[in-house]
Amino acid sequence: MNALKWIGFALRNTLRNRRRSLATVTLTALGSAAILIGGGFALYTYESLQQAAARDTGHLIVATKDFFDREEDTPMQFGIEHFDKLRDTLLANREVRYVLPRLNFSGLISNGDKSVVMIGSGVDPQAEFSVRGPFLTLKSGQLLNEDSAKGPDVLIGAELAKSLKVEPGSALTLLGSTTAGALNAIDVKVRGIVSSGVPDIDKRLVLTSLATAQGLLVTDKVSSVGVYLADMELTAATRAKLAPQLGALATRTWEEEAFFYKAVRGLYDRIFGGLGLVIGLIVVGVVAGAMAMAIVERTREIGTLRAMGTSPGQLVRAFAIEGAALGASGGLLGALVAGGVSIALVFANLQMPPPPGRSVGYPLYVSFSPELALITLAAVSLLAMISAAVVARIAVKKPIVEALGHV
Amino acid sequence: MNTALRDNAPVVAMRGVSKSYRLGAVLVSALHAADVAVSRGEMVALTGPSGSGKSTLLHIAGLIDTADSGNYLLAGTATTQLDEARRTQLRRNAIGFIFQSFNLVPVMTVAENVEYPLFLDGISSSEARERVAAMLARVGLADRAKHRPDELSGGQRQRVAIARALVKQPRLLIADEPTANLDSHTADEVIAVIRELCHEAGTACLIATHDARLTAHCDRVLALRDGVLQ
Ligand SMILES: Nc1ncnc2c1ncn2[C@@H]1O[C@H](COP(=O)(O)OP(=O)(O)O)[C@@H](O)[C@H]1O
Ligand SMILES: [Mg+2]
Repeated sequence: MNALKWIGFALRNTLRNRRRSLATVTLTALGSAAILIGGGFALYTYESLQQAAARDTGHLIVATKDFFDREEDTPMQFGIEHFDKLRDTLLANREVRYVLPRLNFSGLISNGDKSVVMIGSGVDPQAEFSVRGPFLTLKSGQLLNEDSAKGPDVLIGAELAKSLKVEPGSALTLLGSTTAGALNAIDVKVRGIVSSGVPDIDKRLVLTSLATAQGLLVTDKVSSVGVYLADMELTAATRAKLAPQLGALATRTWEEEAFFYKAVRGLYDRIFGGLGLVIGLIVVGVVAGAMAMAIVERTREIGTLRAMGTSPGQLVRAFAIEGAALGASGGLLGALVAGGVSIALVFANLQMPPPPGRSVGYPLYVSFSPELALITLAAVSLLAMISAAVVARIAVKKPIVEALGHV
Repeated sequence: MNTALRDNAPVVAMRGVSKSYRLGAVLVSALHAADVAVSRGEMVALTGPSGSGKSTLLHIAGLIDTADSGNYLLAGTATTQLDEARRTQLRRNAIGFIFQSFNLVPVMTVAENVEYPLFLDGISSSEARERVAAMLARVGLADRAKHRPDELSGGQRQRVAIARALVKQPRLLIADEPTANLDSHTADEVIAVIRELCHEAGTACLIATHDARLTAHCDRVLALRDGVLQ
């Protein structure tokens, strides 16, 4: 009951100088909105990069221990044998949606007149493309299918196609060294031209069926296996569950292998963390300034209340409530603004320019995270409360007689 | 330290109370070796020209300022050595204040202003409501309970301040020129209310004033000149 009364008086006091309170709330709201919009942009970026990384590698990557830790002396030295058995083992788990083999190889790709370096992957010719989704775009021709091993067909990166002056239907030769160290060549047909969005990758990218790649290297192993789960959240639990089923094989999560995601996240965490810190300081300054003015104006009232037997602690608490009310109103308003911006951007369909090293831009969206909004609201209210209390503590120490004489 | 207030002791008992202020290089004596005694229900006027030390004496008596030397017993309790927390508690329990410029809290209604000392004392709100209503009726403002102070005249505001000061039935009422901002007719009314309520409840009053007509209402007059009681 008493607490309610103090809160009631504090709220009425915030309405005493409406213009100043409005300015304080507005600035706090803008600060909170900036944190939420900046943070929401970072969250959206993280989510997109997580998706991209997970679709690229699989949520879990299974390979031999040496594959992760050491460099091979000869191609496929650390490859996995008996992929079919491994796939059946993995697919027996409810969480596992797809099990995709990957065979990495490198060598030369030639049009007869010109040879350039390629970095290739032998993949499951069907399932691979259903999981890649929007992260691999077909520029012309067609994707691989179950007949691609017979062609044999390849997909090549857009930049590579330009360099070799080929289009779908053209014939090329792949040159590589076999697991035994001998040179091998196979003739292939270009089935489609694709882009990963990263020109540096598209310059060397060759995708072919696993069988074709195994034929080139003369092996029946695969380099690694991408395990795709029903949900990203299942990654850690599934990793633990699969471990005993995999014998000598090791697993990594998509995150451990997502170097670009980790670099961006490290950078954005620092940028938006710094932004949050600066805005926090601004909120402290704004609220402390407004409360200092309010307190100076009310010096005589403070003296009167002290004379009547109000303790300094009670007065500090009352001012702290007042500060918290201003901070909380600003935080709530800021969350509304950020939510509005987040919704507006979905309709506005703004496009961001391509990031460095990429050929395509991406849509500008801002995720609205209720969790981040709650944390920001709490932080802003707390900061406002603390700064009001600190300013009030100084003021209530003033001798009562002096405070009463204040005009 | 025994700080229990005693009923049979004088409410105010000051001996040799002095206070001086440093103004640059010179020490100004605001109050010099004052001996003051006020008993229960007694109404004492403090007169003297401006700067004679009236407010200084009232501040010390009201425990909102400290003397440089001398002794002050409030209802038998030695106050000189008390820390601020105890002084705050004594003010809350035993002393009421009336100021020259009313000093009501503008965001509170008339009733809330009067209720505030009871609220500080932790008195239940049902009991507080009754006491506030009774007090407002006594000062003739029952119909103004829900108004804000800025909707009232000066005389009405001072009557609210009187109600606020006396609602907790303090031992001592300190009033520093309570009628200085009021016209003479209103001043008479205000003084009559203070006198009636204090006599009734046995509250000791120390009232500083220039107003000769006001001193006529008091039981005793103390004259101050240059910090010295005459
Ligand atoms: N805070 C202060 N600093 C310096 N001098 C003061 C202060 N308060 C009062 N005085 C001086 O003390 C003397 C008594 O003042 P005061 O008690 O206010 O007198 P009164 O209330 O009778 O007008 C005056 O000379 C005044 O100038
Ligand atoms: Mg004075």
